[in-house]
Amino acid sequence: MALVKRKELSLAEKLYLPEIARGLSITLTKMFGKSITRQYPEEPLPTTAVTRGQPRLVERQDGHLACVSCGLCEAACPAYAITIDGQETDRPIEREPERFEIDMLRCILCGFCEEACPKDAIFMSSELELADYDRASLVYGLDQLRRQRPALQRRIDYIHGINERW
Amino acid sequence: MTIITVNGREVEADPARPLIDACHDNGAHVPHYCYHRGLSPVGSCRICQVVVSQGDMPPRVVAACRTPVAKGMVVNTEAEAAHGARKECLEFILKNHPLDCPICDKAGECSLQDNAYAEGQSECRSVEPRRELAKRKSLGDVIVLDQERCILCSRCVRFMEEVPQTPQLAIVGRGTHSRVETWQDQPLSGNYQGNLSDVCPVGALTLKDFRFQARVWNLRKSASTCPECSRGCSVTVEVLRDGPVKRIRPRHNEAVNGYWMCDEGRLGFHEREQRPRLAAALLAGASGLETASASRVIEVCADLISAAERPLLLASPFITDEEAELLKQLSASCGARAAVVIRDTESADADTILRTGDPSPNRRGLTEAGLEALSPAAAAAALGEADCALLLGERSAELVGFEALCALPVKLRLVLLDSYAPEGEIPALNACLGIPDWTERPGTWTNIDGHKGQLLPARPAPNGTRPLTATLRVLASILAESGTPTAADIAEEATR
Ligand code: SF4
Ligand code: SF4
Ligand code: SF4
Ligand code: FES
Repeated sequence: MALVKRKELSLAEKLYLPEIARGLSITLTKMFGKSITRQYPEEPLPTTAVTRGQPRLVERQDGHLACVSCGLCEAACPAYAITIDGQETDRPIEREPERFEIDMLRCILCGFCEEACPKDAIFMSSELELADYDRASLVYGLDQLRRQRPALQRRIDYIHGINERW
Repeated sequence: MTIITVNGREVEADPARPLIDACHDNGAHVPHYCYHRGLSPVGSCRICQVVVSQGDMPPRVVAACRTPVAKGMVVNTEAEAAHGARKECLEFILKNHPLDCPICDKAGECSLQDNAYAEGQSECRSVEPRRELAKRKSLGDVIVLDQERCILCSRCVRFMEEVPQTPQLAIVGRGTHSRVETWQDQPLSGNYQGNLSDVCPVGALTLKDFRFQARVWNLRKSASTCPECSRGCSVTVEVLRDGPVKRIRPRHNEAVNGYWMCDEGRLGFHEREQRPRLAAALLAGASGLETASASRVIEVCADLISAAERPLLLASPFITDEEAELLKQLSASCGARAAVVIRDTESADADTILRTGDPSPNRRGLTEAGLEALSPAAAAAALGEADCALLLGERSAELVGFEALCALPVKLRLVLLDSYAPEGEIPALNACLGIPDWTERPGTWTNIDGHKGQLLPARPAPNGTRPLTATLRVLASILAESGTPTAADIAEEATR
């Protein structure tokens, strides 16, 4: 059996009040100082061009989607999240999506669709939040996926930059 | 047969066929655009170049589709010179080809796309603008022409000249002004236009009907047999996501249809796809037909037949040879008259190429099986004489005619096993049960020349249908003396 020898306390230690004051001062400086916790969701996470959020479709200035429903993203998607049906349009591009669905519950945010697209029509946005009360409403259709180009511009520039380097 | 050497292997080649066939038959890949086995060779695209040496002649690059087979030829399809020559001519072909693959219906089954990948020329060296021509020019009801995509292989021109022998297309203009056109922009006519989209090696001639309907790699393709006439052309049924049939294309079969099929067979599926299906088991109750279980319908049907004095089993000519065999067993086990409704041959519908004008795809198989053939009018009369009738097979109600069925006496006990719902209420109808249609079940149809055409299921049958073979087998075993279903029937029942 080992004997623990009690440490002799100095007078200052015996008084213990200075230590309480020191502890309180730390608490108080942290309380009124710069906070390091994030008030999510009021305060969203910062995103960068590298962030791969949910894929979104680019709407061009003329209000039409850039997508021509070629189905390459659908074929590239490893999670089988995308379903597309095409239709004819009078515009010179001839073909546009009639139905474009991404099952956001299947999507693994891999960005393969963005990489496959020959038309610069689908990009990984910085939108990360996903919540609803039922699964069906998380299968996003054309209306939920379309975003005007400026909303995606940062990512578009980043991807173009990468492609140029290659 | 002539002995030649292909890629270091001695093979037998048919001297009546060009060298490219000997290469293809022996597993050597030789790309080709203007050459098509079903058409005469012209040697205009030069993509099929291979290196040939013979005796003490030095090796040279020749177009395999215009070179006859000769004794002692040594062919190298993978020689550097051959690839080089192909690459050069590919570059010229691609010079004016638009970068259309994302919107082109041919993408995924286009040999220009495949060869461009294979030969690996991804950079474009030309800076001049490409030709600008008509992008969606309608050529009648069946075909759309995209002149920019055309590589001027002239397959379409030769097809029209050689197969239906109604020349309607021509390559007009010279040099870079050449393009495919019809005479004075007349629409195409004839019953074989659809084949143009199959012969065109690129997406220049595409089907209006299939335009933007699906990406071809999403289609599930199954071998089958065309139901539109007794020629029974071998076809491929292409289905999108287990749902609708999107396209039907000819499947090469030298014994039946060669490489072709008629437009009626190709496009006929639309009308049927739109028809409401009979996908339920229904029994007559207090308030008309009510939903019941399939086994209850079969029991009622067996009771009705065994209680009847003059039962009639009336089949449609769309039942398969296997179903006919079971039908005969059923008729033997209950002593019922077994017959098949056969419409007359319309000679106006016949042609000298494929169409027979006989709308019953399995007429020969069913008459050879010994089933009595009745015209629709005779069938209606036979129904009137019977006291219990089982009307079975896809389109059987339609063949007898809705009016004729409604006119039947109510005391007739009528049971319908069909794929399509009848147009309205039939007073004499006691029970009905849905069955799979020709794209959903396996079987065999015997065509007019005795060729056995295969049907393979291209998609799952809708819920609520039950295979006709299973129903006939169970009925036969209930009605046979033993009265107990065989082990095979129970197993089949369990797999449902
Ligand atoms: S990000 Fe990946 S998983 Fe999500 S839709 Fe695109 S390809 Fe599919
Ligand atoms: S790859 Fe691009 S153009 Fe093609 S379907 Fe997808 S988003 Fe549309
Ligand atoms: S339309 Fe098609 S088949 Fe006809 S010449 Fe052009 S590429 Fe050949
Ligand atoms: S395929 Fe031989 S020249 Fe065109």
